[in-house]
Amino acid sequence: MKVSVDQTRCQGHTLCAMKAPDIFELDDVDGHSTPVSPDVPAGEEKNVLSAVRSCPEQAITVEDAT
Amino acid sequence: MSAEETTGSDGRKRVTFHFDRHEPGYRERFEDITHEMHAKCPIAWTETHGGHWVAAGNREVFELAARSAEYLSNDHDVKNQRRGYKGISIPSPPRARDSRGGFLEMDPPEQRHYRQALNPYLSPAAINRWIPWLDELVRACIDEKIESGSIDFVEDLANIVPAVFTLAMLGIPIKDWTIYCEPAHAVIYTPLTSPDIMRVGGLHMEMQAEIARQLAEVRANPRPGLINALVNADVLGEKQPDDEIRGVLGLLIGGGFDTTTALTAHAIEWLSENPEERARLSRERAELLDSATEEFLRYYTPAVGDGRTISADCAVAGVEFKEGERLWLSWAMANRDPAVFADPDQIDMGREGNRHASFGLGIHRCIGSNVARTVFKRMLLAVLDRMPDYVCDPEGAVHYETISVINGMRFLPATFTPGKRLGPGLAETLEILQKACDEQRLAEPVTVRKAAAALTPEGGAK
Repeated sequence: MKVSVDQTRCQGHTLCAMKAPDIFELDDVDGHSTPVSPDVPAGEEKNVLSAVRSCPEQAITVEDAT
Repeated sequence: MSAEETTGSDGRKRVTFHFDRHEPGYRERFEDITHEMHAKCPIAWTETHGGHWVAAGNREVFELAARSAEYLSNDHDVKNQRRGYKGISIPSPPRARDSRGGFLEMDPPEQRHYRQALNPYLSPAAINRWIPWLDELVRACIDEKIESGSIDFVEDLANIVPAVFTLAMLGIPIKDWTIYCEPAHAVIYTPLTSPDIMRVGGLHMEMQAEIARQLAEVRANPRPGLINALVNADVLGEKQPDDEIRGVLGLLIGGGFDTTTALTAHAIEWLSENPEERARLSRERAELLDSATEEFLRYYTPAVGDGRTISADCAVAGVEFKEGERLWLSWAMANRDPAVFADPDQIDMGREGNRHASFGLGIHRCIGSNVARTVFKRMLLAVLDRMPDYVCDPEGAVHYETISVINGMRFLPATFTPGKRLGPGLAETLEILQKACDEQRLAEPVTVRKAAAALTPEGGAK
């Protein structure tokens, strides 16, 4: 699974980092999110999908969501 | 209540619905009105308050607030220099007609420049530094009441902590919190028609005068904090005049005080009514605290909505809007939409996919959202740990008469099994916490100071 955060949409709500703290990194200065890596490690898929569903701005996209 | 499809003189079709958040009884009818609007008119036109649109559906609020920034303006053009737009209040309260409510009543790029100046004080990393300091403050508030077995969760805890913390971040002496506390709450909960409105207006003016004094002091003798950030901010390449900065300070105080109080009081009240859920939250806090916090935010939506002005003719979510029309984005109603939230009128502390709009959506996301969550969680955990059997008194609980702006509470008395004090009382603790602020320069931005506040377990500053 691959994950990305649309930086034009992310507003720093931080819910993704609550759902998948090992996957999303919040910027120290404005709290906006970026994935630590575009590749989601095995076992984290469920947390990432939970983050996708929780994002108020619908800014997170996943590919190969199997 | 009825929804009616009408055709305007310009041929535009729209659904008209009588909607007035300021009407007596609106609080009690909130769920019925929300259900009806979701079923019949997720976007409706109402003739109240000069005529305006109301967005109630989750998808509609999202499409407007998060995806249509180019058609929406927050501008409050108090000097009538641009297009005369009226900002975010519908209707404009008398006290705010001539003053701009900080960057929440601005559009980019000006709005963005302000936020960039303040973000490093309010980001998750910035707020996490304060947790030991916050815990001391919460400890002292609870110690004031712990031996008596009775507390008013609003007056004795949820009013104090957000107020003191907001002042600390601003760089204002925290012992002065009482100057700000009553007016900041009372201007929200006092209906415009109340006989008390003049007294409250007077208190608010005294608070404004004190804010002006603090601003002058920071200009003369810089000290760390949000005021200093505003004084030094480059907005459109220029330093900002006092009236614009006072507007921002009013926004930060208004946003920092009443909203977190509202969230905390409602959550504590619900947990008293649902003691099994309270025990579960305490027991499973590692898994549940985050999702329960988001669920209380969704269900109670402390800041119920925001006004906008349509800045260009457009069609969004199937509705044609005209430039200059006013629009109410109801975060509270969007948060109850069954199309997005299963059993929306129930609290589910473990709710998944909870993409609520309680901090707004789009570029104006509440800049204090990390403050609100952290302060709420520190207060709630302390209550769960130190007064786990508290019982709120429904007879003494007072909810805001009007929920037109903030869904808040004035009083929430409760009793509990008394416990032991753990440290000094509030007055002494405020001195210790002020000393920590001053000596450790805690109110610096995270770009300057990365370390957490250091306080000894006995409550002293290290």
